[in-house]
Amino acid sequence: MRISRHWRIIAQALSLVGFLWLFLQTEYRGTDELAYPVSLLFRLDPLALISAVSAPGKTDLLSFWPAILLLILTLVLGRFFCGWFCPLGTLLDLLGGPLRRVRNRFGGWPKAKYYLFVVLVISALCGLQLFGLLDPLSIFLRSLTLAINPVWNLLANGSFDWLYQADLPLVSPVADFLYPFFRDHLLAFRQPIFLLTIFTAVFLLILILLERVQARFWCRNLCPLGAFLGICSRHSLLQREPQQDCTDCRICSTECRMGATSDLSNHKAECIRCLDCLDFCPNERVEFSFKHGTVRDFDLSRRSLLAATAGGALLAPLAAAAPLSAGYRNDLIRPPGATAEDEFLSRCIRCGECMKVCIGGALHPDLLRGGAFSLWSPVLVARLGYCEYDCTLCGQVCPTGAIKQLKVEEKRKTKIGLAVIDKNRCLPFARGEECLVCEEHCPTGKKAIVFDRRKVLAGSEPLELLQPRILPELCIGCGICETRCPVSGTSAILIVSEGESRTPQKLL
Amino acid sequence: MLDRRKFIRRSLQSACVAGAVPQLFLPEVVSAGQESVLAVRKGEDIPALVRKTVEALGGMGRFIKPGETVVVKPNIGWDRAVEFAANTHPQVVQTVVQLCLDAGASKVQIFDRTCNDPRRCYVSSGIQQVIEELKSKKAEIVHMDRRAYKELDIANGKALSRWSFYMPALEADCLINLPIAKHHSISTLTLGMKNLMGVIGGNRGMLHRKIADSLADINSVIHSDLTLVDATRILVANGPQGGRLEDVEVRNTLIASPQIATADAYAATLFGYQPYEIETIKAGHQRGLGEIDLSRVKQV
Repeated sequence: MRISRHWRIIAQALSLVGFLWLFLQTEYRGTDELAYPVSLLFRLDPLALISAVSAPGKTDLLSFWPAILLLILTLVLGRFFCGWFCPLGTLLDLLGGPLRRVRNRFGGWPKAKYYLFVVLVISALCGLQLFGLLDPLSIFLRSLTLAINPVWNLLANGSFDWLYQADLPLVSPVADFLYPFFRDHLLAFRQPIFLLTIFTAVFLLILILLERVQARFWCRNLCPLGAFLGICSRHSLLQREPQQDCTDCRICSTECRMGATSDLSNHKAECIRCLDCLDFCPNERVEFSFKHGTVRDFDLSRRSLLAATAGGALLAPLAAAAPLSAGYRNDLIRPPGATAEDEFLSRCIRCGECMKVCIGGALHPDLLRGGAFSLWSPVLVARLGYCEYDCTLCGQVCPTGAIKQLKVEEKRKTKIGLAVIDKNRCLPFARGEECLVCEEHCPTGKKAIVFDRRKVLAGSEPLELLQPRILPELCIGCGICETRCPVSGTSAILIVSEGESRTPQKLL
Repeated sequence: MLDRRKFIRRSLQSACVAGAVPQLFLPEVVSAGQESVLAVRKGEDIPALVRKTVEALGGMGRFIKPGETVVVKPNIGWDRAVEFAANTHPQVVQTVVQLCLDAGASKVQIFDRTCNDPRRCYVSSGIQQVIEELKSKKAEIVHMDRRAYKELDIANGKALSRWSFYMPALEADCLINLPIAKHHSISTLTLGMKNLMGVIGGNRGMLHRKIADSLADINSVIHSDLTLVDATRILVANGPQGGRLEDVEVRNTLIASPQIATADAYAATLFGYQPYEIETIKAGHQRGLGEIDLSRVKQV
């Protein structure tokens, strides 16, 4: 193995481990402010940059300096990010290996990703941002958050618990000895539970299984980030020699994982600089150097490009033609600091950082609450978890400004919704039994839930008891009442989006 | 639930008392052969206040024998800073833990099943920090271990026949209950008996429907060897989680008793209640958890 390829594999491993480590740090660790730049992966993400720039409202471009640097480096070095650093690419290399067939005649559709990219850019410029769905970094992180991490925790905790209870000789003491390290460093503080876990896992699984069709199928044919970096690589200075298959060998045509080298030329936009060809070339002819070379055309058909542009431009009105979900439903609760809904959807890159960091387990990926194009964006599901009164972590990790960073004093005053009591199920109303758990937990200094002492008739028996009442001017919709309500299943107190600070016109 | 050692000790104590005092003179079944003792002290220097209150009861050595394991159960229920009086004062906790160590405890564990996020509560309450400051390997503040809950039968339970309990609290040789005195809208006040809701599992919200009997049931299973009510400052409204300084009253008072209902009974008077007005305290008294008629309590 040549030394250069070694470096690439080391870089891939380090970058994957590094991003996994940042992922584990995306958690409350005893201080109100997170100690590490946990969302670095998305500050580095040119697609997040496009989303933020094309969204309404002001964007802090400076926070995207890593993405800008990446683009500049790509202009010089080509699509090295895909080969050396992209965690999804590394994951596909790692898991795809055993799946791949030795002989593969599938030619692929390398142009498809450019058309897809054009669709996404045009639709973002027209006001419908869909990068998040297909951004490889988002796919990586949200799969980690919503699927891999919960399963890992279940398996690990389950194994430790089983060994603890079974008390096997030798094995159990070792497991009990290791457990504190796992608990403190590798496992979540409490078992993560999310909506859409299976859906998200299936999405990732399909990308992995596509490795069977073709190595790096996703990166070659579909990845919009790959397309963007490819476009930037077209004139990159780093040039591969020889620039096309040698007439006596042609192994590059079959061995290159990206299909970048053919009998015609080396396609700079496709080459991810993995340096494998240095290794597999039987005659050691391959080298990379800063020489002037030919620039190969993308070969995109004008007709298809026009179709892609038109498609992108039509997507936005198509989405806008649907009724606004806020207009006919009230269960769309966004995190505190979320911008107004149209800006929020334009900015949110669906990375799942906020859901990972949410200390109360309150934020979950949306399916349809916010409309057809709200998929994977964060919504607060108060029955599953509540928004911690003094916590501002989601705003700290959001890389695109979809959730603004709030100071804790601002956060305490930010209304994300309003609690309403379902009197058909609330115990003091429905059954004449005292309960009051909601009031106990209400965190606003002056409680937003108060009691009225009322005389009621239970049958013909007069009964005096306390019944809860919400004070809308004090309630911030944190949802702890809904989380803690002791009735089983759906809570007897519900958070609705009425009165949320980000759309003041919704207040009655 | 008692461990063997404690069972023998307590049986012997009861036997001695019962043997010495003719049955006829026993005031009801209530105090189970024990006179209820109460120490109330005031002072602004919290460590000194804790020391003199515990001293009044005969010192920590009366409750902890060298080598015993101890659980100290403060209220760490809420993500609130010290001044809001939602959690037990960290200095009270620290001094009590220090006294336990001085008395020769082999291990002192501090924990609570919190209402807000446990990590935030431990930090914001200041309690995690003061325990770490003790720099003792024997004293540790720990998060609840989900594996250590166990469902137990509650003999003679009135509201509950079975519930999930946190075993480390039951298995320790000595349990010291460190509640803070607070207003609470359903049980009127939250004191020592309610504080032990922090060492049970299950859906605790269910208990609020029959709070008094439920708490008496819980406390009949988990015995507090010493209850020390922190009334250095009390929360008089918007409890139990507070959040407004207007609702906090400084009282510089500590109340200690081996009988949990007795400690709670006195603490109730700080809020202007008579002990029998608080259903939980009344239920505790009926279940033999201490005398609540303060005129019949031996104040030391």
